[in-house]
Amino acid sequence: MKRIFLWWGERALLLLVSCIVLFPILWMFLTAFKRPRDAYSISLHFKPTLSNFVTVFSDPWNLGEMVVNSVTVAATTVLIAVPCAALAAYSFSRFRVRGRKFLFFLILSTQFIPAVVIILPFFLMFRTLGLLDTRIALIVVNLAIVTPFVIWMLKGFIDAIPTDSEEAALIDGASRFRVIRDIVLPMAAPGVLTATIFCFILTWNEFLFALILTRRNAVTLPVGLVSFRTEQGDLWNLMSAAGVMITVPIFIMALLIQKHFTRGMTAGAVK
Amino acid sequence: MAEVKLVDVEKRYGSFLAVPKQSLTIEEGEFLVLLGPSGCGKTTTMRMIAGLEEITAGDLMIGGERVNDKPPKDRDIAMVFQNYGLYPHMTVAENIGYPLKLRGFNRQAREARVAETAEKVELGKLLKRRPSELSGGQRQRVALARAIVRTPKLFLMDEPLSNLDAKLRVTMRAELKHLHHELGVTTVYVTHDQMEAMTLASRVAVMRKGRIVQLDTPKMIYSEPANLFVASFIGSPPMNLIDGVISQGTFTAPGVNLPVSAADRGNVVLGIRPEELDLVPADGEGLFSGLLYALELTGESTLVTLREGTTVVCARGGADFDAPIGTRCALVPKAGARLHLFDKDSGERV
Ligand SMILES: Nc1ncnc2c1ncn2[C@@H]1O[C@H](COP(=O)(O)OP(=O)(O)O)[C@@H](O)[C@H]1O
Ligand SMILES: [Mg+2]
Repeated sequence: MKRIFLWWGERALLLLVSCIVLFPILWMFLTAFKRPRDAYSISLHFKPTLSNFVTVFSDPWNLGEMVVNSVTVAATTVLIAVPCAALAAYSFSRFRVRGRKFLFFLILSTQFIPAVVIILPFFLMFRTLGLLDTRIALIVVNLAIVTPFVIWMLKGFIDAIPTDSEEAALIDGASRFRVIRDIVLPMAAPGVLTATIFCFILTWNEFLFALILTRRNAVTLPVGLVSFRTEQGDLWNLMSAAGVMITVPIFIMALLIQKHFTRGMTAGAVK
Repeated sequence: MAEVKLVDVEKRYGSFLAVPKQSLTIEEGEFLVLLGPSGCGKTTTMRMIAGLEEITAGDLMIGGERVNDKPPKDRDIAMVFQNYGLYPHMTVAENIGYPLKLRGFNRQAREARVAETAEKVELGKLLKRRPSELSGGQRQRVALARAIVRTPKLFLMDEPLSNLDAKLRVTMRAELKHLHHELGVTTVYVTHDQMEAMTLASRVAVMRKGRIVQLDTPKMIYSEPANLFVASFIGSPPMNLIDGVISQGTFTAPGVNLPVSAADRGNVVLGIRPEELDLVPADGEGLFSGLLYALELTGESTLVTLREGTTVVCARGGADFDAPIGTRCALVPKAGARLHLFDKDSGERV
């Protein structure tokens, strides 16, 4: 009896939380297909239109450029951060070097610094370097944010892989790099994939630095959203259309993670 | 092919002394077996030779060259790991072929070599599987195949047959022996199975608590064990070890009265192998008289255990031997039988 009660209680709570979390997303999706005059009504009875999407991609909004910026910044960050972090994570996991723990803590501790605290120095630095409003600046900043996180995440995955197969490969004639490429990375593949996607999502959604460091040329999608708050008021329908453009890739990736997350690769390495 | 030399090699894990300082030379082309109970440092010794474990002190020479600081890949070694160390994301064929791949063999050459090697370890039908789809014995054979797929300077094998069933173990043993004969590659082989050690080895190093207590040919290890540990470890059934005293040229213990040619001393252990005792049905003279305690037919012979007081003695009798339990029997050493005397306190041979 008590058990059944708990079971239903649990379900009800989950449902409630899901509703609270999902409602704004649902609202955004609906609004993206509404005409401006329907935007404020909660009614489900409206005639859907794609005109919002057409509008945001044309002048003066030019969402297309922002998509290019966002994709470039996120993809480049991932392509640099993940391989570097993988090597760092492997070293932290496998080599017993003096000061290893302290160094690892140092890297992790960068994650505890609030972004607002360091944003001004970053601004001044990039201004001096003449890199304001460039994608390079955003990539550098995002690398600084994301890499420690990916190192920490991958180290956990690599720690869980038994060293036996690696030792066998070393004896079979592989160099360290070869071992990482042929043995460790394939065995850590679910972890690497997860880290890659997390890394992409973090960069894709990064707002604060992009807001301060860009003006016109390197504006990313999250910052672009702000421009829909105009003197004529908030253009909710357009903002939602842009919001859909931001969320859909993330949704797809979340689905991908889920599929790969459950697959264990270490089974069968040892007896 | 190379000579392997350990000079004053020592291994510590923190403050724990796993392998105390000692030297060992493994001759070129030799099949050296490290034999000893679990936890005595066999794997550690082997891992130091392989380069997987740092050597705390001393020098390791392979082929006359000091290799302490050489990475494993440059030592030209093949190794069978005790816990296999297979590549879980590769098929059996890819596992076996990996050492060849690293050495730049093309796909065709690899496939031919892999197929041939897999046949030797009876894995021909499983080449497409992954390690997770294999039994323990099959995984072990993959590990073995991966080691013998090429001809290195040195083979290291850490209990490579421990997980095979009895029949396959005998087959594989013969296969390994033949392989060694054919290639003549220096081999270090770790086992806790004295039968494997005796059948395979050119020389056996018996280890105890990290220390090599005897290093000799199987024949000498068997016929002249250096101490009680080796005496009791080698032979199945093990050597009879009887506590007693020697006075006026006679060894005495409960139920035992045996003339020996040794000086008088107390606290001595007499050893004699079950194979070197003859069963005499009647109560008679000789080594030992006792009551029949157990009979075990092994097929080609019968193991006969006699008991008198605290003394238990086992002998190997003919397959047709039979008598009721409790019968009084006597044992006499065969003509030319070896009697071994050990000091009870130090365990050393006297
Ligand atoms: N990495 C390690 N750290 C600490 N002690 C170890 C380590 N590896 C082995 N040992 C210890 O060293 C001793 C020898 O181990 P090992 O060489 O594996 O024995 P064997 O192979 O003969 O069974 C054991 O007492 C074991 O507990
Ligand atoms: Mg071992």
